[in-house]
Amino acid sequence: MDPLIFLGIPIGLAFGFALQRGRFCMNSAFRDIIVLKEYTLLKAVGLAILIQMVAFAALDMAGVITISPNTFFWGANMLGGFVFGIGMVVAGGCASGVTYRFGEGMVGAMSAVLGLILVGLMTTMGAFHPLVVALRGATTVTLADGANLTLANVFGIPHYMLAFGIAGVALIVWAIRSMRAKESPKKEQEKVSLNTRIFKKGWGWQATAIVIAIIGILAFVASTAAGRSYGLAICGGYWTTIQSLLLGQNLIGWLSVMLLCTILGSFIAAKIAGEAKLRAPAPKVLIQTFFGGCLMGFGAALGGGCNITHILTGVPQLALSSIINGAFIIFGCWTLAYFWFVRPMRNL
Amino acid sequence: MAEETKPDETLDVRGEICPNPDVKTMVKLKKMAQGQILEVLVDYPLSVERIPGNAEKNGHKVLKVEKVDGPNHRIYIEAKGG
Repeated sequence: MDPLIFLGIPIGLAFGFALQRGRFCMNSAFRDIIVLKEYTLLKAVGLAILIQMVAFAALDMAGVITISPNTFFWGANMLGGFVFGIGMVVAGGCASGVTYRFGEGMVGAMSAVLGLILVGLMTTMGAFHPLVVALRGATTVTLADGANLTLANVFGIPHYMLAFGIAGVALIVWAIRSMRAKESPKKEQEKVSLNTRIFKKGWGWQATAIVIAIIGILAFVASTAAGRSYGLAICGGYWTTIQSLLLGQNLIGWLSVMLLCTILGSFIAAKIAGEAKLRAPAPKVLIQTFFGGCLMGFGAALGGGCNITHILTGVPQLALSSIINGAFIIFGCWTLAYFWFVRPMRNL
Repeated sequence: MAEETKPDETLDVRGEICPNPDVKTMVKLKKMAQGQILEVLVDYPLSVERIPGNAEKNGHKVLKVEKVDGPNHRIYIEAKGG
């Protein structure tokens, strides 16, 4: 066992802490655009992606990491993303959302994780695996030299130019928008200590985005050192851990260590804030979240990753697989959220 | 406590998953008459942070957000009515 996998410990603890304090859940981020017209978490996701986009490109140029886009298999990316998006609405949380709520003590999230592990393993190595092989096989597209597709290599633009360009345009748009926005009357700020702001209160979206992005960047560097050229992810960590326990093989790597510490990190954050408590919804809801987890497990195993692998880590690498998969996660999320929440609320 | 807020109705969304605490609160408030007070019992941190803002955005008046114990909170909201 490579001792460098234990670099996953501080990364995981910090990641779990930040997820819990920042309430970083992409299900809430995407779903609530249409359900509650709420954009706070979406802004956190967007900013975290942009910061990482610049940092990954710079670190790749410096030779510290290697941009490692996932393989583009459009059929599996689309179907996997769509099913995952539906699953996270059913489960009430995405892969990172259910993981941090697991640490908080929400039993509904724990049952979602169980479903995600069970059907994820059935899809990565069990009964559903032939479907994965067939769909990926039939829809895989790479460059002529076998390289995985990114927005940059598809259009023949140097990676760093496109990454810096996208981030630059986003920065200009944001600057113009904030200049145009009317000065909103400043709310009277409660005077609270830094300690309270970090450990007791939920973080604002900017702080959440910056901290998650820094953890994402360090994760890529640490994981590369341990022989895995990728950044943050979630599902693979659950699967390799449980597969190791079930089959007695040692598949424990950087990601497994990081993920277990993520759950612990969010428990610590919740405990300090006084938000940790075992609490369960009605039995019917527990079955619902389990089923949602099953859908997420299937979707992530088919599409080559969950929302963290694709949206938080893949999109900043400009991976075409992650951009398409991420778009279909959002599409799946919106489809079910429309029928479950938007339409019933409108018909009141 | 100086003054006890007397709720007309109570909504217990403890243990509920995201976004049901938020959605159920908004639906309930929409059905209540002007001036009636809703007490929401909630233990999901994201909803504790978001329900007050969303209620205000929809024209209701948030009277009080009270921490009970652990993640449990009590939120009092006065409905704007139809």
